[in-house]
Amino acid sequence: MGRNWDVMRTSARASNKARGEARAAWAFLAADTIGLGIFVVLPILLALVLAFFHVSGFGQLKFAGLENFLQLASDRVLPTSLAVTAIYGGLFVPLSYVIGLALALLVERGFPGVGLVRTALFVPYVLSLVVVAIIWQFLVVDKTGIIPQILQVINLGNISWLGDPKYALITLVLISVWYQAGYQMLLLLGGLGDIPRECIDASRLDGANWFKRLWYMILPLLKPTSFFVLLTSTLNAVTGMQAFDLVYVLTQGGPAKSTTTMPFYIYEQAFTYNNLGYASALTLVLVAIMSVVVGLTFKATRGGRFQ
Amino acid sequence: MSYALPHPRNQLKGPQFSRRTVMKSLGIGAGALAAPGVLTGCSGGSGGSSGEALSLWNFYGDDGTDSPQSTWWVDLVKKWNENNDQQVELRYLTNATYLDGTTLQTAFTAGEGPDIFLLSTGDFLRYVNGGVLRDLSDKMSDDIVADFQPALLDARSVDGAIYGIPFEAEPLAIYYSVSAFEKAGLSEGDIPETWDQFYDIAGELTTPDQFGSLFATTPGYYQNFTWYPFMWQGDGRVVRKDGTVAFDDAAAVDALDFWGRLIDDGYAARNARGDGASDSASNLGSGAVAMQQSGIWDIATLRQKNPDFEYGVFKLPHPEGKESVTSVGGWAICVNADGKDPDGAAEFAVWAMADQSKEGRERALAWNTEAKTNMPARESVIELAQDKGVWSDGPLQYFADEVAPTGRAEPRLPPEVYKAVSDAIQNVQLSGADGKTEAAKAADTISGFMSTYDGASVAY
Repeated sequence: MGRNWDVMRTSARASNKARGEARAAWAFLAADTIGLGIFVVLPILLALVLAFFHVSGFGQLKFAGLENFLQLASDRVLPTSLAVTAIYGGLFVPLSYVIGLALALLVERGFPGVGLVRTALFVPYVLSLVVVAIIWQFLVVDKTGIIPQILQVINLGNISWLGDPKYALITLVLISVWYQAGYQMLLLLGGLGDIPRECIDASRLDGANWFKRLWYMILPLLKPTSFFVLLTSTLNAVTGMQAFDLVYVLTQGGPAKSTTTMPFYIYEQAFTYNNLGYASALTLVLVAIMSVVVGLTFKATRGGRFQ
Repeated sequence: MSYALPHPRNQLKGPQFSRRTVMKSLGIGAGALAAPGVLTGCSGGSGGSSGEALSLWNFYGDDGTDSPQSTWWVDLVKKWNENNDQQVELRYLTNATYLDGTTLQTAFTAGEGPDIFLLSTGDFLRYVNGGVLRDLSDKMSDDIVADFQPALLDARSVDGAIYGIPFEAEPLAIYYSVSAFEKAGLSEGDIPETWDQFYDIAGELTTPDQFGSLFATTPGYYQNFTWYPFMWQGDGRVVRKDGTVAFDDAAAVDALDFWGRLIDDGYAARNARGDGASDSASNLGSGAVAMQQSGIWDIATLRQKNPDFEYGVFKLPHPEGKESVTSVGGWAICVNADGKDPDGAAEFAVWAMADQSKEGRERALAWNTEAKTNMPARESVIELAQDKGVWSDGPLQYFADEVAPTGRAEPRLPPEVYKAVSDAIQNVQLSGADGKTEAAKAADTISGFMSTYDGASVAY
């Protein structure tokens, strides 16, 4: 009898402990869940609803059915904006990855002052994007900026980096890479640290040179980190604040729409034209495109496991 | 006097829902409305019952400094609050947030717009068509109305109803650097009058370190505002008085090509320093450009930031055989029709900007000549300035005597029309496109929009 009581007591204690752990788990998850619900899920649902309304910008709503979505087909700016976004992402994602990786490899090994170098490379990422934009505006302004002054030596001083449609987008890409490369370096540095040292040593003993070690050992073993870096930088490029803030401060979508990224175009529709309903429809298009891209990426890489 | 104007809000056809109704039926709070709105930075407003202080949003003060502009607004509100039960509270927003940002509009979208706020003519139609502006004409006697320059009041009126009281007029001209002229071997006698002369002089002033000229290059209301006079000089318009589109006329095409040619040939900068083409201190004052189109406000700016900089001013150049015409901008005070106490807010607005007493005129004069450098919007204040000899010499006198008489009020156009014009300017100015083609494209877009537009009348 006594033994039964002991078993029951032990079982009750285990059950209480499990319940306590479950409660703690829910409590820990609650903050994130509530935050995601309010700041992510709710706006998505609202955007979905508003896309079916004409919203004047002053609180007047009128049911529009599919009109906002039909308008997409006749929107002459939309293809331009999608192309600008695709070019921006197509250049930014690989460039920032390659430079981030190069920096990570450079500062992976210890050398005197490596901590300082790592910090210096990471600093741009902690700056406000508006500050970044203002600094670069000062650096590249026509003729009198420091960069045009330097380039004058090789007869390239007359290029208008932000005022010429041929160069404005690439300038934004380069500024974005400068801003993000330090962050990517940090992530990739973590990935490099996870690669077993003995694998690298073994390949070195087998006579693999630096390039072969990089190609056949480091990059394959870095795949999960690279997957995360490439995916998040794609999202940043297409929907992130850098695709908006830099454009907003530096070019306002110009010159001649050459930097009108989708986030900026959505902003224009919402706050210049007062078409919040159509802006919501555009937002859904962007979300749909990104969902397809991310879905295909996950599928191709088996959820980033590459197995 | 009172005018019965059909409220623009009631002109929407079909079943309608108020924002609150829809949000309530969805079980969703208003605060999250700004959904496309991953981008919005919604502000707190001033909801609540009457008796609370009325909120006055502006971009001058109280900014925490003792700058003349901030002080003027602080003193204005202090004076009112000392003598009235209905208190007013200033809320300062930075230029970037107020002029180019979303704070004002998102506040209105969320039903929490300020009781009193400042509005430019360029943005007027958006707000009047949104039905959020209170008609102030019942608070303005015939004497008060007669005191204002008619064009400035007309730009804020719809069918006799006055939705904004202008408190300044800001004409545009060309500022030039005296030292840049001298270095190029030019003198006052070489100041250009026509477009061709301006083009030649800009070429002579262009060096490896300096652009001959600077016009606005960033797309936006400001760029359009600065470009319109060049179209007007050739007798052009965006939309004729009968509502038909005139943007593909030769006047608009020539004005587009004039700006494009200056950029193409490297005689005008493609982008500007500092706060852009309205900031003479950062561009003309720094020696980056030799001539810059800007407004009367830059007299005060240059006085404060570059007191030793030697400059001159001349009227906007015009096509051969035509007259110089300029744009006159400036801000007006408006009242939220759905605010806490629209009646009380209207009384404040009229007192603040149209007070006929000696003290009221002195206050307006101080704003236009001490805190800022503007032309007053009221005839009585202009007379007071002349009596006091405020514009006795220098660039202010030139603006008063030569530039202001050539001015036309900034056009009020719906955002869709403004944007079509903006696209044409951008494509010709910075992308090397042909003026005629771009003007035709814009005219086509504007025609399509105007055929369905049923808001307040488009002016100019």
